[in-house]
Amino acid sequence: MTTPHGFEPKIIGFLCTWCSYAGADKAGGMQTPYPPNVQVIRVMCSGRVDPQFILSAFQNGADGVVILACHPGDCHYKEGNCRALQRHRLLRLMLEPFGVEHERLMLDYVSAGEGEKFRKVISETVAAVRQLGPLRLQQNGTLDDPTETLHSYNRQ
Amino acid sequence: MKIGIYFCTCGSTIAEKIDSAAVMEAAKTFPDHPYVTTVAFICSEEGKLQFEEHLRAEQPERVVVAACSPREHEATFRRCLANAGLNPYLLQLVNIREQIAWVTEDAALATEKAISAIRGAVSRVRLQQPLEKQQLEVCADTLVVGAGPAGMKAALALAEAGRSVTVVERTPFIGGLPVRFEELFPALECAPCMLEPLMGDLLHGECAERIELLTMAELVEVTGFYGNFNAKIRQKPRHVSLHECIGCGECVEACPAATMNDFKNSAVERKAIDFAFAGVLPNAPFLLEEVCVRSRGEKCRACKDACPMGEDVVNLDEGETMVERRVGAIIVATGAGLYDASLVAGMGMGTLPDVYDGLQFERLLSSTGPTNGDIVTRDGKAPSSVAIIHCVGSLDDEHKPYCSGICCQYAFTFNHLIAARLPETTITHYHRELVVPGKAAHTLFSHCAHSPQTRLKRYDRIRDIVVGQGGDGRLQVSAAGEANPVDMVILCPAVTPARGADALAALLDVSCDPFGFFRELHGRVDAAQSTIKGIYLAGACQEPMDIRSAMLQGMASVGHALAGLQPGRTIDIEPITAEVDETHCAGCRLCISVCPYRAISFDTERNASRINAVLCHGCGTCVAACPAGAITGHHFTNAQIMAEIKGVLS
Repeated sequence: MTTPHGFEPKIIGFLCTWCSYAGADKAGGMQTPYPPNVQVIRVMCSGRVDPQFILSAFQNGADGVVILACHPGDCHYKEGNCRALQRHRLLRLMLEPFGVEHERLMLDYVSAGEGEKFRKVISETVAAVRQLGPLRLQQNGTLDDPTETLHSYNRQ
Repeated sequence: MKIGIYFCTCGSTIAEKIDSAAVMEAAKTFPDHPYVTTVAFICSEEGKLQFEEHLRAEQPERVVVAACSPREHEATFRRCLANAGLNPYLLQLVNIREQIAWVTEDAALATEKAISAIRGAVSRVRLQQPLEKQQLEVCADTLVVGAGPAGMKAALALAEAGRSVTVVERTPFIGGLPVRFEELFPALECAPCMLEPLMGDLLHGECAERIELLTMAELVEVTGFYGNFNAKIRQKPRHVSLHECIGCGECVEACPAATMNDFKNSAVERKAIDFAFAGVLPNAPFLLEEVCVRSRGEKCRACKDACPMGEDVVNLDEGETMVERRVGAIIVATGAGLYDASLVAGMGMGTLPDVYDGLQFERLLSSTGPTNGDIVTRDGKAPSSVAIIHCVGSLDDEHKPYCSGICCQYAFTFNHLIAARLPETTITHYHRELVVPGKAAHTLFSHCAHSPQTRLKRYDRIRDIVVGQGGDGRLQVSAAGEANPVDMVILCPAVTPARGADALAALLDVSCDPFGFFRELHGRVDAAQSTIKGIYLAGACQEPMDIRSAMLQGMASVGHALAGLQPGRTIDIEPITAEVDETHCAGCRLCISVCPYRAISFDTERNASRINAVLCHGCGTCVAACPAGAITGHHFTNAQIMAEIKGVLS
């Protein structure tokens, strides 16, 4: 994707169906534009976001990933968002040696009413990843075998 | 595989940003080369018919609808698939309206984004599998734990609806805490009078035959799940047949053994066989085995001989019994207790005479209490001055941080009753926050605020107040440098869950909040449901509340039971749940620890976790957590989601 900005990142957004996906719909209802770089993958709960999905996204050309969850305490499934947060924190650390900067893997909270926040988070994420440029995975850490990487993550 | 893409132009709403011709062109490069059809308003009545007809004619194996948000119309389009003879789960909806057309400035970019999203959906839908809702046979009978206001209300409503109900009550009587009270806020209604119609209906009303009341009984084991619980109840021997006793009290007269009566603040004696208090329902005495002289080996049978109704009413050899009931739902209505005020330093509870907590003072006020309702000190004199201390342990991080919500109102009720009965007595309220919510509570408060007998004194911290004894032997409340000599102190301790709530929660496997109250599924939306499906919450077991709220929540819990379980009808089990592949499960049980619904158990024989589809809510947290990849999240499988990721990125 190229535009007047030059590099346009591809970003995958994992949205839980109850809060953040509803927040994205709310942003839609407001009809205020935001950058089109984020492709949304809807899951029932942010707790469903398997680290494999994130690795797969990077492996298949995503320059960034953003996980949007219900606010702490508001999770439709009580604590799935906490699980998402735990995994996100670990995975960020784990991906660092592979050249994946923290800004490429974001987690934030968007409620069903926060259309404006959704727009803001998406815009900021796109701007941050645009700034970083295309993702170039480092030689010593190809993500050829996400399963093995995942296993080492799980062993931590 | 034949895949159909249905592109809704939404009039011009979508069409003006997303070029359907470009989508059709791009679809030629999608896996399986799906066909693309445009529809003007696919969600309209006409659009749905057109959609269904087209599906019938084309018979696609998978369907993608590119339209609006699945939150709005996924269910609608699934029904269309079903109407057209397709499995409804073979559909994937792409939200090209709210999340693309409406929020992308540039039409070319919007079209590009829509094409990627639809490609992702096509990649995903190819892997989607037909799913069926399973049917489960259920029992519509209900178990109610606790026969206080909430439990009675629930049991009666269920019985009125034709359901069979088993009510398990720990004490020998029904009516819960308020049946022991005299007058109630906000309208100073007589508590037993208010509860009488409910209690009468429960015992002898038109629906009473559908209500099985087990007094002196406790739930000891529950197995199974929503629709099919198996409950074991241990019933202690009452030694008096509830069905045959006429409540004449001849046995009480004859009984030679006595002890102090708990229900009369242990200030008055009761016989080994006796009523809890006058007017109690069911109107039958019970025998305290440990007090009966037979427990010391004597051969007494005075009560049995005194009974005018024959040999079978009093059964001295009655033992504990175990009762088993199969029920579909359980309503927990175990009520409240009071925080032990002796744990709050400086209150004099348990060490000084004439210091009462709210419940003890209720008994003192009650005409069935130790003094037959006379407000007197231990010496039998009317107090000339009374102190009422609010927030004892409430709103206090060292004790209970929450507001108990009801104390101010009963404190002002006490004020009113004391002032009416003892016009010479002065009353001082030591309060922190005054909580008088709703449209009725202010009356008692303003009466109190305007009464010349009453003083209101605000304090900041409970440690600023000390209840002690003055030189003259009278009680003395010291606060902010002022010593107030009084004859009686009434404490309003924090409202807590009833004793034993923690054990019951463990037995039912439901979670509690940090204060020990049963945790509701959602504080506002679903406060009458526990975290376990089929176990409902009613009354102060969920949080401190007044009788009105407890009754309402009793009805709310019945609503769930009636709506969910109907005699002779099966319940649908949603197919979007998780399932363990036993051959891959390593038995680490990580899934069990992350499941918020206790839907996963461990089968030790097969050394594998097992998910109960009835209890699973389909969040997928366990699927993501399983290190062996042994759990499949139906309709959100790893393969489906990965295909979607690859699809949108390629």
